[in-house]
Amino acid sequence: MSALVEKLQRLRREAGVRQDAASPRGGAVAAAASAVPVAADMAGARRRPDSPDAAATQMPGAAGSPALPAGSADAGAVGAGRRPLAAAGTTKLAAGELASRDAAAAALPSAAMPVARAVAELARLRRLLDLRPARSLAPRTAPAPEPPLSGDCIAPGLYAIERRYAAVATAPLLPPRWCDGAPVARERFLCFDTETTGLAGGSGTRAFMIGAADWHGGELRVRQLYLTAMAGEAAMLDAFAAWLRPDTVLVSYNGRSYDAPLLATRYRLQRLADPLRGLAHVDLLHPVRRVYRGRWENCRLATIERNVLRIVRDDDLPGSEAPAAWRSYLRAGKTTDLLRVLEHNRQDVATLARLLEHMDQNATPAAWLTSA
Amino acid sequence: MSTDLARLIAERQPAPPDPARLLARLARRYADRITGHFTVPAREGRYAELPAELAPALRTALQTRGIRQLYSHQAQAWESVRAGRHTVVVTPTASGKSLCYTLPVVDAALRTRAKALYLFPTKALAQDQVAELLELNRAGDLGLRAHTFDGDTPGDARQAIRLHGDIVVSNPDMLHQGVLPHHTKWAQFFENLRYVVIDEIHSYRGVFGSHLANVLRRLARICAFYGTQPTFILCSATIGNPREHAEALIGQPVNAISESGAPVGEKHVLLWNPPVINADLGLRASARSQVTRIARAAIRAGLKALLFAPSRLMVEVLTKYLKDVFDHDPRKPARIHAYRGGYLPTERRRTEQLMRSGAVDGLVSTSALELGVDIGALDVVLLQGYPGSIAATWQRFGRAGRRQQAAIGVLVASSQPLDQYIVRHPEFFRDAPPEQARIAPDQPLILLDHIRCAAFELPFVDGDGFGPVEPAAYLQVLADSDVVHREGQRWEWIADAYPANAVNLRAVADGNFVVVDRSDGRQAIIAEVDYSSAALTLYEGAIHMVQSLPYQVEKLDWDGRKAYVTRTNVDYYTDAIDYTRLKVLERFDGVRAGQGNAYHGEVHVVRRVAGYKKIRYYTHENIGYGPVTLPDQELHTTALWWQLPQEALDEAFASRQDALDGFLGAATALHTVASVRVMAEARDLMKSVGSGDASAFVERDQRGRGQWRAAEAGADAERFTPTVYLYDNYPGGVGLSDPLFRVQAELVREAAALVDACSCRAGCPACIGPVLAAAEDAAATPKAQALRVLALLRGP
Repeated sequence: MSALVEKLQRLRREAGVRQDAASPRGGAVAAAASAVPVAADMAGARRRPDSPDAAATQMPGAAGSPALPAGSADAGAVGAGRRPLAAAGTTKLAAGELASRDAAAAALPSAAMPVARAVAELARLRRLLDLRPARSLAPRTAPAPEPPLSGDCIAPGLYAIERRYAAVATAPLLPPRWCDGAPVARERFLCFDTETTGLAGGSGTRAFMIGAADWHGGELRVRQLYLTAMAGEAAMLDAFAAWLRPDTVLVSYNGRSYDAPLLATRYRLQRLADPLRGLAHVDLLHPVRRVYRGRWENCRLATIERNVLRIVRDDDLPGSEAPAAWRSYLRAGKTTDLLRVLEHNRQDVATLARLLEHMDQNATPAAWLTSA
Repeated sequence: MSTDLARLIAERQPAPPDPARLLARLARRYADRITGHFTVPAREGRYAELPAELAPALRTALQTRGIRQLYSHQAQAWESVRAGRHTVVVTPTASGKSLCYTLPVVDAALRTRAKALYLFPTKALAQDQVAELLELNRAGDLGLRAHTFDGDTPGDARQAIRLHGDIVVSNPDMLHQGVLPHHTKWAQFFENLRYVVIDEIHSYRGVFGSHLANVLRRLARICAFYGTQPTFILCSATIGNPREHAEALIGQPVNAISESGAPVGEKHVLLWNPPVINADLGLRASARSQVTRIARAAIRAGLKALLFAPSRLMVEVLTKYLKDVFDHDPRKPARIHAYRGGYLPTERRRTEQLMRSGAVDGLVSTSALELGVDIGALDVVLLQGYPGSIAATWQRFGRAGRRQQAAIGVLVASSQPLDQYIVRHPEFFRDAPPEQARIAPDQPLILLDHIRCAAFELPFVDGDGFGPVEPAAYLQVLADSDVVHREGQRWEWIADAYPANAVNLRAVADGNFVVVDRSDGRQAIIAEVDYSSAALTLYEGAIHMVQSLPYQVEKLDWDGRKAYVTRTNVDYYTDAIDYTRLKVLERFDGVRAGQGNAYHGEVHVVRRVAGYKKIRYYTHENIGYGPVTLPDQELHTTALWWQLPQEALDEAFASRQDALDGFLGAATALHTVASVRVMAEARDLMKSVGSGDASAFVERDQRGRGQWRAAEAGADAERFTPTVYLYDNYPGGVGLSDPLFRVQAELVREAAALVDACSCRAGCPACIGPVLAAAEDAAATPKAQALRVLALLRGP
């Protein structure tokens, strides 16, 4: 496998594109190369200026289109490269910096120079990476009609949606390993879960959806926030912060080590105070592990839900596919899978509330041990 | 009577060790072997008061540790840094460089709890520095919190270091992969970051340096986010362009302090050529035998000696030979120690400590001791072979020296042509300026890697620069491949990936091998071997030595990265037989180059360990071979190459040998000008000379003449197309060869100009590579032959 193709595929893997979807150049060029012995190279020499003077203009960043054996692809790169750049309005691209590297500037008409330069630089980068630009510039309009988004747009790029369910019990709950052993009023709990752009961690991973379930006015209330544009992030974080009170008890599944630090990073990047800090936080993953480890194939929330709470979801989108669903909405406006993520997240936080009730320490432990 | 007694006692007293006596003896007995002798004069110390404005607690701590005044360069550094100027300190080894940054950093930490980040190229140096800081801390009860933060830092300690560390000591790789991508966890640290200290900046050259410059651009972006602009304090060993290099790394003007105020004794440098032992064949004694001989004399004279060996294997062999002489009594503590990469960190710490305390008389090391590891004072430094650069040679010699006494450095030449040239032309070595450090941080593929990492750390907004670079074109490429998403004015990271993990700052593969001793049912790890040398040292049957104790490798678990060894007792050591082969996979492009062609494309470089030799100690006779079956070390990369048709060469040269020699010389000149053009280090851009179909390769033999080596059985050396390849020595290539191909005609012209303008007569290391003594008087000099080849590539 070609080294440059590996580099490209690394980029593609990061983008979540399956490797086999990208089969750049390989075949065509290998064929071209094998069909180009010395005679053809001499033809190449005629096509390409390589007298000493002309060679001097071939410095990095020069405007001369580098000749590939597959010459047509290269021309395409230059043509297609112009479009997004002009649209982006980045015509002042790197002019000074390139000029300093490259005295060949005089060879080009000065007015057209910056754009031509930028285009050449792009084309050259793409050639280095073996990228075909046309492929990835998919149109944003979706061919098939997509269902509309649900909820209300409460800020640019931010949607909110709320559902309520009848709650049967109202008694205070004693969470597992609660510090003072005294039951806590139900209204203080907030069961939350985020959907994120990936599991890689670090400052480049963000939450695009936050769901929270709490007992409110005798009902179980499920509220969700989700982004339809990156620009909505600050508003989403503000809205979530507004759901929290100083005496709120957070309830999550692995939230102590995943969701809460991730949100802390996002608040930090938006230069907002982290509202989760200092709140009590019951992470149900650990007590569940203590009780159920070894009883079922794993301790994932869906497994516990099915075996302990007897809840069966239909058409559930696996959590691992959430990042791709959101990206395909951002890029192509596809809503189908995004709505399934919304449903998945709603189910998750509702289950968290049920699981908290189930693990109430005031109930006899035997009750939840034998429930399976 | 009493005077007689006094005289008798005086005679019985051992004479105090004096390097001057050894020097005189060497000069007397081996005058014919010493081809060059020059003296670096002693220098008086220049001192300055401790700064008046120093925090009182720090002043007390310094005085407790016996520091009552500063060297002049330390005081200058204090002034410069306090004035807020980025500062580079360029002074020799053991001149108290670390105090140049310790003073301002600790002072600021005590006064305002300002934080500092230290970067060292190796973990060992980082640990040394923390140990030194903690001693200062104890001496003054300063309450300073200094910690290393690297791959070995346990998870539970990391949180505390991020929140409470005053001085965090790390390395560029950790900053790149572990700190910057998680900068929000370091918010308090970055908000209070006042100083960034980068030591040993001479080691950040070429591609590694280009990577570091980009990591620092990312650091600057993150500091700007937290509203800080730290002052940089950099240190370097002697290189040709310390200030320019520092400025290229951090992208800002830097104040250089290069006058050391530390006193040094006189230093004598000897160039030593082993004697001819077979006049008919022109064979000389080995450098190894000469180094052991001088080391024995030095240690017997009561001097402390440091030996630099060219390889880890040779470290063990030299150690054994010296131990056989000085450490035959197992009841006494060892006087000879070995020091090299691959030993466990604890063992190296112990050796350094013994060395500092003066308990070790002879230390044998690899280039590991070129860096600033503190091992105390030494009298004699011996180099087995020329290290390859003027700067590295002086760095090694810099290890020798005490204040009051003369010190000796001896460079013992091997039979390599380059070594032989240097001992034959001592003035070349004496007058050559140290090499320049070069980096090319704006190289597109490296930039793309780091702009990708930077976009992950903080989104780019239109108008943001990346160092001096306008990143829009790069961001567009990243957007095209769905790694970033453009919205409004912003480019936001969107992919599910952690890009820093895919970018290695150094061209080394991960995955150290551990060496497990299973003698007598034990299971103890006795050494670590990095991936790149595992195939050469841990094959089954290999004798693996630790402190010259032989262990035999019984089983190598390649995938598990483990080698199982048992203690053995044999009278031989093993040396791997390896060769490198290069194959063209694909041509991207080609042009005419004079009467030949130049190409750009993709190549496959294979390094294979074919077997090993068993070599008996002392006699060095070959007593057997063994086979090795290990996976090939493969490298896919990009290259450019020039080739000439056989006919053109046959026409221009009288003999095939002349043509080959000319081609090798031209290749050396092309490699030199190409490396300068892309600001690469020799290890970044490799050179290979062979036939066009890669069926055979040309190497210089022991005597410097070109020889064909067939890479495959049945290769036909009669039909050949001499080809010189220059390839990126990085998996996938780092984009050096692409710009080079586009200026290939200029490169040929510059190479010819370089050779033509060189003041040597027949050729020298500065132009076409070292030449033989015999060739210096030949009518058709190798220099003329190289020029003829370059003319053929240049055309009319």
